Amino acid sequence: MLEFDQITKEYRSFSGRRSIHALDSFTVQVEAGEIFGFLGPNGAGKSTAIHLAMGFMRPTGGQGRMLGAPFGHSHTRRRVGFLAENVALYHRQAERLIRFYGALNAMDGSHLAKRTREVLQTVGLEEQSKRNIGKFSRGMLQRAGLAQALVNDPELLILDEPTSALDPLARVMVRELLLGARSNGKTIFLSSHLLSEVELVCDRVAVLHRGKLVRLGRTADLLQSSERTEIVARGIAATAFAGSFAQNGIVRFSVPAADQRLALERVWSLGGEIVSVNPVRRSLEEVFLEVTRDHDLPRSEGAQ
Amino acid sequence: MKPILLIALNFVREQRWPIFVLLLWVVLLAVVGLFADLPRERDDLLFIFKQIAIYVIAFSVFFGASAIYNERRSRRILGVLSKAVARDQYLAGLILGVTLACAIYCFALGVTATWTLGGAGFPISQVWFLMLCLVAACVLAGTVALMFSTFLHPFLAAGAAALVLGLPALASLTLSVRWAYIVPVFILGTAVLKANFKSPGGLFWFPVGLAFLETFFFWALATVIFSRVDIAVEVE
Repeated sequence: MLEFDQITKEYRSFSGRRSIHALDSFTVQVEAGEIFGFLGPNGAGKSTAIHLAMGFMRPTGGQGRMLGAPFGHSHTRRRVGFLAENVALYHRQAERLIRFYGALNAMDGSHLAKRTREVLQTVGLEEQSKRNIGKFSRGMLQRAGLAQALVNDPELLILDEPTSALDPLARVMVRELLLGARSNGKTIFLSSHLLSEVELVCDRVAVLHRGKLVRLGRTADLLQSSERTEIVARGIAATAFAGSFAQNGIVRFSVPAADQRLALERVWSLGGEIVSVNPVRRSLEEVFLEVTRDHDLPRSEGAQ
Repeated sequence: MKPILLIALNFVREQRWPIFVLLLWVVLLAVVGLFADLPRERDDLLFIFKQIAIYVIAFSVFFGASAIYNERRSRRILGVLSKAVARDQYLAGLILGVTLACAIYCFALGVTATWTLGGAGFPISQVWFLMLCLVAACVLAGTVALMFSTFLHPFLAAGAAALVLGLPALASLTLSVRWAYIVPVFILGTAVLKANFKSPGGLFWFPVGLAFLETFFFWALATVIFSRVDIAVEVE
C-alpha cells in the first residue's frame, strides 16, 4: 500500500559544504487496511517521509511506492487523501473550497456536491459550510483540512498531525472517523505527537529518530514490557514483596522478568495463591521516551 | 485540462485586488476620454493609452515571478499538489492564470480605447490587434518570469526575466532588428508604442505566433526544472 525502501533524504546547503540527513535508509511497509502510527520527536524526519511519499520532494537515495506506483505519480494521488501539518487553505466558503479540491481530483457534478456535504457533516462543519475559511478558528481549519482530504473517498489517508489543534471532543470525532475508515478497508498513515491518540487507534507503530527508524512493531507488542512482570496473588502479607500494593486481600506487585520464577515459588512457599501473571503494560509515551533516549547519540545538527 | 483551468481561475481569484487596482488605470483613461476634447487632444489620449497599455507587461512579470513563491510560502501549494495534479499542469494553470489576469486588463483597456480612441478616429480593429499583441507579450513575459521563479527568489526571477526580455531588445537597437525576434516581447510592445493616428500599424501576426510558441518552450523548460524542486522546503 505504502512502501519506503531504503529511502535517504539529504538536504544540502547552497554551497554544498554542509548537509543534513533528514532520512537515512528508511524502510517501512504499510499494509492495506491498517492504521499505521508514525512517531518521532521534532526534526526526526516524519514530515520529510510524508512529503517524499506525496511527491513534494525527491529522495536522495532509495525508492518508494504508493498504491503500486512510484512516489510522485499524479494519477495515483486521486486515490489518496492528504492533510498537511499546519494546514493552509484558500480563503473562501468552506463548501466551495472542498468542491475546489474535489474537482482537482477529477470529481464533478452531483457526486462531488453529495460528497462535499457528506464530509462537511462528518467533520462537524455542515453549519459552517457557507462561512469563509478565513474566519475559521485553527481547530475549524484543521477540520476543513480533514474534509478536503476525505472528499475523494481515498483508499489511503496520509495525515500529518491531524489532531494537534483540536479540542478533546473533536479528537474523539477524528478517532472515530479513523476507526470507521479502517473498518471500511481504508489504510491510514498517521503522524502524530499525541501518543495517547496513537496508542488508542494504531495497529502498528514506527518510531523515527534523527532520520533513522529506531522501533517498528505492533502497538500491543511495543506496549508489553519484556523486562518486568506483574504478579497478582492472594493469601500473602502485603509486606511480603517490596513495592507491593494490597486491596481486599489481593496483593499486586511487579518483579524483573528474570526473577519471575523465584517470586512465584516464594508466593507458594508463603502459602499464597497466584491469581494472574502478566507482562507489565507500558504507555506509548514510556516506550517513546525509552527508544528516543537510547538513540540519543551526540550529533552536531538536527535533521530537517 | 480541468485542473489547469481550476488553478488558473483560482490564481485570478487570489490576485483579484492587484487586478482591481490595475483596472483603476483603465478607469483613468475612461475619465480622461470623457472630459477630453477628442479631435484636439486625441494625441494626448493616445499617449495615455500607450502608457497604461505597456504597464501590463511589467505586471505580468511580477505576477509570473511571485506566483509559485506565494503558494510555497503560504504552503497552499501542498494542498493543490496533493491532488491528481502533475507539476506541468500546475505550471500551465499558473501561466493561464497570468494570461487571464492580463487579458482581463487588456479587454477592459480595449473596450475603453474602442470608445475613446475609436471615437477620435483610430481604427477599432487595430485597437484590438494591439490588445492581442499585449496579451501575447504578457503571456511570454509572465512565463519567462515564472520559469526563473521555479529556482530563484521572485526579485531575482523578475530581474532575470527583465534581462532575457531586454537583451534581445538592446541587441535589436544596436545590431540588427532581427535580434528582437529571439524573445519578441520588445517587438510586440513596440507595436503598441509606435501606433499613431497617421499610421496605426499593420496586422503583423508572426511575432504574436512566435510569442505563443516561445511560451510553450519556456513552460516546458520550467516544467523540467520544477519537477526537480523540493516544494515542501521552506522558501524563507
